[in-house]
Amino acid sequence: MRTPRINLKELEKIKEENFRERLEFIDRYVEWMKKTSNKTWSSQQKDLID
Amino acid sequence: MKINITGTKIEFKKEQNRLDMFVIDFTSLLNKLQIKYVIVSGYIAILFGRSRTSEDVDIIVEKLDFKTFTTVWNTISDGFHCINTNDVKEAYEDYLSSGISLRFAKKNTFIPNIEFKFPKTDLDNWTVKERKKVVVNGHHFYISPLELQISFKLRLGSEKDIEDARHLYKLFEETLDMTLIQEFNRKLKTQTLFQRYLR
Repeated sequence: MRTPRINLKELEKIKEENFRERLEFIDRYVEWMKKTSNKTWSSQQKDLID
Repeated sequence: MKINITGTKIEFKKEQNRLDMFVIDFTSLLNKLQIKYVIVSGYIAILFGRSRTSEDVDIIVEKLDFKTFTTVWNTISDGFHCINTNDVKEAYEDYLSSGISLRFAKKNTFIPNIEFKFPKTDLDNWTVKERKKVVVNGHHFYISPLELQISFKLRLGSEKDIEDARHLYKLFEETLDMTLIQEFNRKLKTQTLFQRYLR
């Protein structure tokens, strides 16, 4: 089976970009948490964890 | 988000998830015995809403003598079992006193579990001494100062850890002691990571 060419530098760049996007998500999520009732954010967290 | 923060206490209400209930169940036993402990690491970010879960919760417990540890062991054994060993002497001598953590899970389960350890470093001792009380829905337990958690998470350095640090920093930005964070960043050599990922 022929496998594709893999550019590790390219993958590393994608990994860093994904990480930056997740950090940006955290900022948005925290901003949302701050203006949301405890019941609302914690219910969503409970759904995720349970 | 409604949260009351004073010098040594953080109080808020939330819909408790399974991990919260697990932590409350375990720490209530330590509270009952008046054992001094502190929760450190990942669960602190989760407690305050981080969108992830964890298989373990790290707890540093003040160094106990064997007699006191046996009382703790017997009390914990009501609802939890030790994953490492069934023998209290082995747990104390071969694990805790040798610097190896014990793991406790609810009976007939493996995860989540409590990683239970004695302080190993000056930093561990400081954390136990300076612990903060958290009151959630009327239940209380103790966590590490957030300033240390943020710097220490940066020191650990995985993407997950940096995300935890950012979550705590952004959530509590207005109330954190920035002098203390800077001091920990200096000692843990995390100034560059702090500037890169948290500012």
